[in-house]
Amino acid sequence: MNCTPPVVEIHNLTKRYGEFTALEDLSLSVHRGQILGFIGPNGAGKTTTIKILVGQAKPTSGTARIAGADCARESRKIKRLVGYMPDGFGAYDNMRVREYLDFFAAAFGLSRQQRKLRIDEVLETAGARYMQDRYVESLSHGMQQRVGIARTLLHDPEVLIFDEPANGLDPQARIEMRELLLQLAASGKTLIVTSHILPELSRICDQVAIVTHGKLRAFGPLDQIMRQVSQRRTIEVQLTSGEAAAAASRILSEQLSEGEPVTASPAEAALRFETGRSDDELSDLLTALVQAGVRVAQFRELQSDLEDAFLSVIRSDTAAEPADPSTPSAATR
Amino acid sequence: MTPIIHRELITILRTRKAFALQVAITLFFTLLVVLRWPSDARVELSGANSQQVFRLFAYGLLAAVTLLVPIFPATTIVMERRRGTLALLLNSPLKPWAIYAGKLAGVFAFAVLLLALSLPAASACYAMGGVSLTHQLVILYGLLLVVTLQYATLAMWVSSLTNSADAAVRVTYGCVLGLSVVSLAPFFFLQGGEGSAARVAEWLRCLSPIPAVMQIVGHGDVGMLDAGPGAPLASRFLLLAGLTTLAFAGLTIYRLQSNLLDRARSSGAITDDQTTGVRAARRVIFLVDPRRRTGHMGNWTNPVMVKEFRSRRFGRSHWMLRLVGGCAIVSLLLAFSVTTGGVQWEMETMAGPLVLLQAALMVVFIPSLAAGLVSHEQESGTWPLLRSTPLSPGVIVRGKLLSVAWPMLLMLSATLPGYAVMMYIQPTLWLQVVRALLSLALAGLLALMLSATVGSWFRRTATATTAAYIAVMLVFVGTMLVWLARDAPFGHRTVETVLTGNAMAAALAVFNVPGFQTYQLTPSSWYFTAGTIAVLAIVLRFRVWRLTRPD
Repeated sequence: MNCTPPVVEIHNLTKRYGEFTALEDLSLSVHRGQILGFIGPNGAGKTTTIKILVGQAKPTSGTARIAGADCARESRKIKRLVGYMPDGFGAYDNMRVREYLDFFAAAFGLSRQQRKLRIDEVLETAGARYMQDRYVESLSHGMQQRVGIARTLLHDPEVLIFDEPANGLDPQARIEMRELLLQLAASGKTLIVTSHILPELSRICDQVAIVTHGKLRAFGPLDQIMRQVSQRRTIEVQLTSGEAAAAASRILSEQLSEGEPVTASPAEAALRFETGRSDDELSDLLTALVQAGVRVAQFRELQSDLEDAFLSVIRSDTAAEPADPSTPSAATR
Repeated sequence: MTPIIHRELITILRTRKAFALQVAITLFFTLLVVLRWPSDARVELSGANSQQVFRLFAYGLLAAVTLLVPIFPATTIVMERRRGTLALLLNSPLKPWAIYAGKLAGVFAFAVLLLALSLPAASACYAMGGVSLTHQLVILYGLLLVVTLQYATLAMWVSSLTNSADAAVRVTYGCVLGLSVVSLAPFFFLQGGEGSAARVAEWLRCLSPIPAVMQIVGHGDVGMLDAGPGAPLASRFLLLAGLTTLAFAGLTIYRLQSNLLDRARSSGAITDDQTTGVRAARRVIFLVDPRRRTGHMGNWTNPVMVKEFRSRRFGRSHWMLRLVGGCAIVSLLLAFSVTTGGVQWEMETMAGPLVLLQAALMVVFIPSLAAGLVSHEQESGTWPLLRSTPLSPGVIVRGKLLSVAWPMLLMLSATLPGYAVMMYIQPTLWLQVVRALLSLALAGLLALMLSATVGSWFRRTATATTAAYIAVMLVFVGTMLVWLARDAPFGHRTVETVLTGNAMAAALAVFNVPGFQTYQLTPSSWYFTAGTIAVLAIVLRFRVWRLTRPD
């Protein structure tokens, strides 16, 4: 449990555009040095939340504070506290990377001498020093993301907000991006990261918030979210040969209820089933298989990841959701 | 080819821009006829009244074609390339000529539709009597169709060469102005002379449709141009327009190959990393080397202004030096022509081309620089970044306006040597020079504020640039249409009132340039222009303030 006061505090945040409700009653908080993974399908309200946090949109009701500053009323203060990297890079034509960073550093009021040093530092941190003389519009997507991160660091903000930083990156660049984000969090920055590439988030996030249809569906540490959404476990039984798959399947089906169907894959020599049973009950199942002469190589629970959690929330949300997306149903949490 | 024509035409017709153009043209020509339709029942047998209306109609139509036709073809290829759909087209079995022909037919069909919208007004002119159907109306429309085709092919060629839609629009407008107005300049100086230079100038002016239209409407007395019935101006224009159209088409089809997309990313070469010899050579060639590593912005400079200079292709110092040098040379050449007796003019008459040169520079350059000041930020996705900085709307507006005002001031200053020569020869002219320069400075500021304010209401730079060009042209060229029809159908008072809004006309009137001697435009023009600039400044400031506010 983090005892320090939260850096980012959102209370009952609601944003309406006419009849359409983009955000409804969203509340969450993030502590210093934490990474919040902010996930949700397209149109869920992620960008609206981010725009409110960076002072580019006003909430209809509720409050959002960063380091004590009200995002709606103290937008000038917020600009100095937050480093924001939107989904699109935002390149100026005919400008080299160093000139590009020089402009933004000057816009944040850094003196000429400070800028010279700071640009070197952020280029180094973002691993973008080698591209300082390149034209920004000619950079590859991965390079642009690095320059974008360097830009957000120029004024040394407390909170960094990255909208889809790993979008469109190749696997190597994604690994490097992940390491860079962890490095920033380790240096004391608070990060809010949205992403569609969920495995990326699961590897770096301390907290996860899942939003759909403008409502917060799940929020908390990653393992807590998993427990919250994964009440049923997927068990895989690996056999030594596929020939025994049919017999093993029959034994398991006799032990399990109708709501726990077994899927047999003789080609893989494996059986899978979803169940809500306890570890003791699963132990009894394994014993029954062994006693029946089935040669079991492995009996294990498949690890559910953030993607499963996300899909689980989305599925439950879709099932409960009325036809009109502007009127979301009660939260599943 | 057919699917491309279909798609081009449908895409154009679906845009709000196309709808606005159609409505504007219909309203303009309807208004013209309604205003000039005879109010009494008497028949005017000489046809003089209808000829006057026809002249105005013809010039209005030519101005509309010049301003509106380049809009769509100028962006058609460059937009396809930026969206990535050109690669899809080039990968299809369609040949480059078929793609080109389809696109040209689509934009040409829309231009023909715009021309067709003026037909009811043309019929009304004809119904008034005194206008020949075969010798005037049909020839005028035929000529305008050729102009349309020529400008459409020119715009598409430019579109195939440029990398952004707004650059395509401004280069196209620059070329169109070059073809239609600058091509008249050599004849202006050499008319009545003999020798090959005079003959070349005589042919060169036929690149412009203006003399041909003047001949068709029987208007042989506009400024210095003698467009009387003697020279076969229309046929010469048709010949030259045909040749240039073929050349533009051929060049564009040649460009429409797969290698159009085969461009390496810039490696970011920098002169500072080169050998001493290379550095020295580049220093001599460029004076200010565009590839050197630039220093950090000063502590007290407006960062937005410096950013605008740096992110603008022609904003870099070496281009500014070239531009200023070019302006200075032209103004000195003009002065030299007069002082050596090469052109038999009075000193005041020489001021006319100088004023026109400065006004042309402002009309061509200022909208291209100022129109996209806000819209380009929105289109390129940099506006959210600018909003996330602590820069106030005032600093943003000031920086952006200064980034255009400085080049404008340099352009105006570069033409001062011509005035200096005039004042050296005839010192009594100093007061007129000062008054004219004040008018021109106000004209420049008006062009700047008008372009920036009009452009700030659009999200796309190409649209903003087009709208700014149209607005600026309406002020500086549109009002001159009324001047062209001075005495009839417009009276002296009407013309003077309209010209009050045109600071360039005020500068011409200060020097008593032929055609402007009878108009007293200063100081009323200064007050009107300054007031308009103040209003536009408030509107722009509000617009930027609004854009920086939370949604």
